[in-house]
Amino acid sequence: MGVSARTVSPRHVCATLGVCAISFAIFQISAPRSSQAALTSHEELLQTDSPVGHPGGRLVFALRSEPKTLNPVLAADTISRDVLSSMHADLIHINRVSLKTEPALAKSWKVSADGKIITIKLREGLRFSDGQPFDADDVVFSFRVYQDEKIHSPQRDLLTINGKPIAVERVDTYTVRFTLPDTYAAGERIFDSVAMLPRHKLEKSLADGTLAKQWALNAAPSDIAGLGPFRFRSYVPGQQIALERNPFYWKQDKSGVRLPYLSELDFLFVANEDAQLLRFESGDTDVLSPMSASSYAILKNSANSSPNVCLNDLGASLEFNFLDFNLNDVSSKNLPDVQRKQTWFGDVRFRKAVSSAIDRDALVRLVYGGRATPLWEHVTPADKAWINTSLPRPARSLDQARKILKDAGYSWDGDGNLKDPKGTPVSFTIAVSVSSQPRSKIATLVQQDLGDLGMNVQVVPLEFRALLDRVFNTFDYDAAVLALTSGDADPTSEMNIWLSSGATHVWHLNEASPATPWEAEIDRLMNQQMTTVAYKKRKALYDRVQEIEQQNLPFISLVSPNVLFAAKKNLGNVQPAIIEPYALAGVDQTYFYEKGANSCQ
Amino acid sequence: MRHLSLLRISVAVIASFYLVAIAAEFFAPYGFAVSDREHTNCPPTRIHVVDESGHWHLRPFVYRYVELPGELESYQEVRSQRYPLEFFIQGAKYKFANILSGRRHLFGVASPASIFIFGTDEYGRDQLSRFIYGARISLIVGTLAAAVALFIGLGVGALCGTFGGWVDVVIMRFTELFMALPWLYLLLAVRAILPLRTSASVSLLILLSVVALVGWAKPARLFRGVILSAQELDFVVAASVIGGGKWYVFRRHVLPQTGSLLLTQAALLIPQFVIAEVTLSFLGLGVGEPIPSWGSILAPLARYESLALHWWLVLPVCAVVPLFFSYHEVTSILQRDDIPPMM
Amino acid sequence: MKYVLHRIAHTVVLLLAVSIFSFLLLTLAPGKPFDEMRTNPQVSSATIAAERMRYGLDRPIVERYFYWGKGLLHGDAGFSFSYGMDVRSFIWAPTRNTLLLTITATILAWLISIPIGIWCATSNGAIDRVTGLATSLLVSLPEPFLALCLLYVALRLKYTPIGGMSSLDFDAFSIGGKVLDLMRHLFLPVLILVFAILPVLVRHIRASMLDVLRAPYIEAARLGGVRRMRVIWRLAAPAAANPIFPFVGFSIGYLLSVSLIVEVIMQWPGLGPLFLESIYSRDLFVVVDVVLLSTLFMVVGNLIADLLLYWNDPRIRLS
Repeated sequence: MGVSARTVSPRHVCATLGVCAISFAIFQISAPRSSQAALTSHEELLQTDSPVGHPGGRLVFALRSEPKTLNPVLAADTISRDVLSSMHADLIHINRVSLKTEPALAKSWKVSADGKIITIKLREGLRFSDGQPFDADDVVFSFRVYQDEKIHSPQRDLLTINGKPIAVERVDTYTVRFTLPDTYAAGERIFDSVAMLPRHKLEKSLADGTLAKQWALNAAPSDIAGLGPFRFRSYVPGQQIALERNPFYWKQDKSGVRLPYLSELDFLFVANEDAQLLRFESGDTDVLSPMSASSYAILKNSANSSPNVCLNDLGASLEFNFLDFNLNDVSSKNLPDVQRKQTWFGDVRFRKAVSSAIDRDALVRLVYGGRATPLWEHVTPADKAWINTSLPRPARSLDQARKILKDAGYSWDGDGNLKDPKGTPVSFTIAVSVSSQPRSKIATLVQQDLGDLGMNVQVVPLEFRALLDRVFNTFDYDAAVLALTSGDADPTSEMNIWLSSGATHVWHLNEASPATPWEAEIDRLMNQQMTTVAYKKRKALYDRVQEIEQQNLPFISLVSPNVLFAAKKNLGNVQPAIIEPYALAGVDQTYFYEKGANSCQ
Repeated sequence: MRHLSLLRISVAVIASFYLVAIAAEFFAPYGFAVSDREHTNCPPTRIHVVDESGHWHLRPFVYRYVELPGELESYQEVRSQRYPLEFFIQGAKYKFANILSGRRHLFGVASPASIFIFGTDEYGRDQLSRFIYGARISLIVGTLAAAVALFIGLGVGALCGTFGGWVDVVIMRFTELFMALPWLYLLLAVRAILPLRTSASVSLLILLSVVALVGWAKPARLFRGVILSAQELDFVVAASVIGGGKWYVFRRHVLPQTGSLLLTQAALLIPQFVIAEVTLSFLGLGVGEPIPSWGSILAPLARYESLALHWWLVLPVCAVVPLFFSYHEVTSILQRDDIPPMM
Repeated sequence: MKYVLHRIAHTVVLLLAVSIFSFLLLTLAPGKPFDEMRTNPQVSSATIAAERMRYGLDRPIVERYFYWGKGLLHGDAGFSFSYGMDVRSFIWAPTRNTLLLTITATILAWLISIPIGIWCATSNGAIDRVTGLATSLLVSLPEPFLALCLLYVALRLKYTPIGGMSSLDFDAFSIGGKVLDLMRHLFLPVLILVFAILPVLVRHIRASMLDVLRAPYIEAARLGGVRRMRVIWRLAAPAAANPIFPFVGFSIGYLLSVSLIVEVIMQWPGLGPLFLESIYSRDLFVVVDVVLLSTLFMVVGNLIADLLLYWNDPRIRLS
């Protein structure tokens, strides 16, 4: 299976060389830090096909918190990854719009017939942001770091298949061969967001074991080098991180101008969502992303007073909110109360009745002001390639719910309270994180819906860590409204959720062996799809997983919020994505119009 | 005296708040948990006296509100039919204190129209009804917690002030320790230890004790200061010198000196403790949905959304100010009771 | 001298107790650092365990306490799990910013509340009532709401910045420009803090003043024909000040706790956002360090209060 890359033709290189030389001369003046002199004549830049923009300008972006680190090897939180995504580059990139893979630092790649060997050809003549050349040695080095057991990068899990690491070897200066221990369905998708590291900067620290301490926030800009569109310039604690244009970036536009257009990218730390909105309204920041439905409503309401704002609704995200019943084995935990309630939760008819009683359309309307998508299974409509569209999407039906419960032996007393077959009133709690406004609201609405069914439900708002502790450690909860986000639109990114032994198998964590026949069946299907290469076969397997999910309702999928963002109207080439880094996905091509404002895309 | 009439008015305001809280079922037009999903975030219902055709009506009336088609949470009056405001109207059935049951509400309108004097919240619940029911919890928590905190504070302050020496030092360091600790953690820990499901009365008790527990240290330090300086006063010294017992002197001469501080603190602590409940419910220590308290009613104000889109959420604040002001007036009138007017 | 030594000894004991209790409370709170990684389906439990081990989180709490304590004696305040940095390398800037904010607010609040409080106490009627109403309103408003209201107004007026501590081009400004920029950014957060503490100060000053005005010597002075202003400022105010001095310590402590929330909303890069975030992420050493720092501020505040009392009250000075 060969993939042809959209590389620059030789003729084009010649045509653009002049431009490169000129711009290089300018960079020599503007960026004296780059000690390396002449560019090689042989530089295989990637040419984008987006509209041509203007160079210059500063884009200001607000982050919910400070990034924890500037070290891509250790970054595990969204914020750090957002910042790092504009400082580093990967070999093969998942296009944030089409969600398909596309060449990045890799010019092209070949996958062997059994899917086990991926040979990558690198772009030649590329340079890190400090001017040092990038080649196969850096790639091999990077993977050595990511797979290092002592460092234990969060990325290591993605690069380990069935417990065995991927073998990486250098073929020549610009060719690297990856040998997978097993056939792996996601194949080249694993390379996405795996930042390539500069060997010349980090080799020493890998050797002396200090790599995990490198590139903290207080690192000197000259110590950090990457292949992304921007490079680190300064950090003011508690306030901002400033990035500047990387003059050695490996993309150019249709007219041959080297990207990125922006000369500066600043991240302000604005912890409070409302404060972020206010900063955006006041014009301090240029883009607001990710944006909540309430912010969207406020901006829409004040559209007349702020005409320079462009609002965007990209539709469903990959996040799914769900009602999770505690089905963990709590026999060893001394939780008799939970154990008693599990006789209800464990009954699929009970869960079906609950699902049937919930008014998902009301959740969409009341929680998200209509800017969300109701869910009847965990795959959201955003994941077009994988959603099983043949599954039914029944509307709320209290009658249906009552009938199911009646058939299961439940009854109602004179005041309409639901009683289980033994005559015990059905009452349980729904735990929810207080820090998530929408989820608290979902929980309260679900409480009302289930109240119509005679269930006595109490919503318990908990601080986020306290909630996680209960869900993942102590199992001391009845039900919870939670959300998970697939990192990628591919079933392999969900292995931990679906495998019964998985660490994110929330309703029943880390099962020693599948607790139910259908969980065993899902295990089998998921494992099979992971080692299948053909899309059609995988899709059939994954469709079946979704079908089993809907029949057995391990958790009750509720709603997926839409991806919303706002940008100033004078920004061009904003290419927002429904997965990380959202509005920053196309920041290497974003530019400011010189005069006047353009209409929204 | 002019003061006296003001005092009467203030006391009357406070008393009426308590009365309304006690008989919330009667005064509130709707139940606190009744949620009308067709009227979420609905602005206050306008009360008219002039109809479409310009006729005046002696009895005020309202129109029914409907959501504009295609626009969420934008409402429009349906002018075709008037719904007069009715007093002592038959409404939803309620049980008062589990004995008396009734259907009468102070005021209301016939369905399908509804009257939301304070507008509705994000679940379509009548804000005014929630405010009235919320008074129960908040008044109990506010007053009792303030009383407990002041009582402990006065006791500890007296202990320090009268004994002095190492007792004073130890207790004062202890209050400093108390004020310095990260209470958020204790609250998280308390929440973790408690069962997830707590009945409303248990939650109330927890609220009360947590607020009082955290709140006593500051008053204690203040009382100590006042008691210390009171002991230096000539007549107090004189009383001890002529052989007044320690307890006697304290009771007769020192304690009255703390009166002014006690009153000021009381008028300040009650509102502070009512507001403090916002934080506690944020940590899952409140009484929990759907039972209202002023803390939970005021909580949405901390969001920009309320300010920008739902201005009527501020109305409950306007309603509590008279109460807090009355508390303040009562205490301040008691303070200046015997002071001759200043020039 | 002996007094100062005593005072220092007390402070050390206090700090020790605060640190021990903070550690204990932290172990009581549910959840551990890195728990949030559990919600990422692409991270395995082994990774989380490795991350915990890297920071010694698998060690018993007592051992961690002594590790931290030993470090502190050498000027090392531990490290942050979430930032992977030594605490001392990033704690000073937020401390400085918070102090700047709270001290400015404290001074301003006192400057405003003393005249208002005295005015209320000495002029019966309307003014007192209006102030009472205003302070009642201020105590009924949750601080975050107050902050949002001011931000909302600022957004419309477009005169003050909407948060943060400095403009993006701060480095390019001249010295005068920098000071001006800082003052413009200080304005709103200081205003909120002043509003937050004003009711407490005004009411206590007023009450204390009323107590003094009741005293026979004031009456005597007035009947004796001493001018009104002289009675108020020379005779009554110094006497009324005594019970108010403890508030100097409190106002600092109180403002520190209020500024936690205000700093987050106004994006003031102080200890507030750092503290809240470290609490939520269970970043043990950062929490304890911040608590110790604020305890220290409180102690200093109380010390100032005592010194003021000493300076103002001849009886204490003489004894």
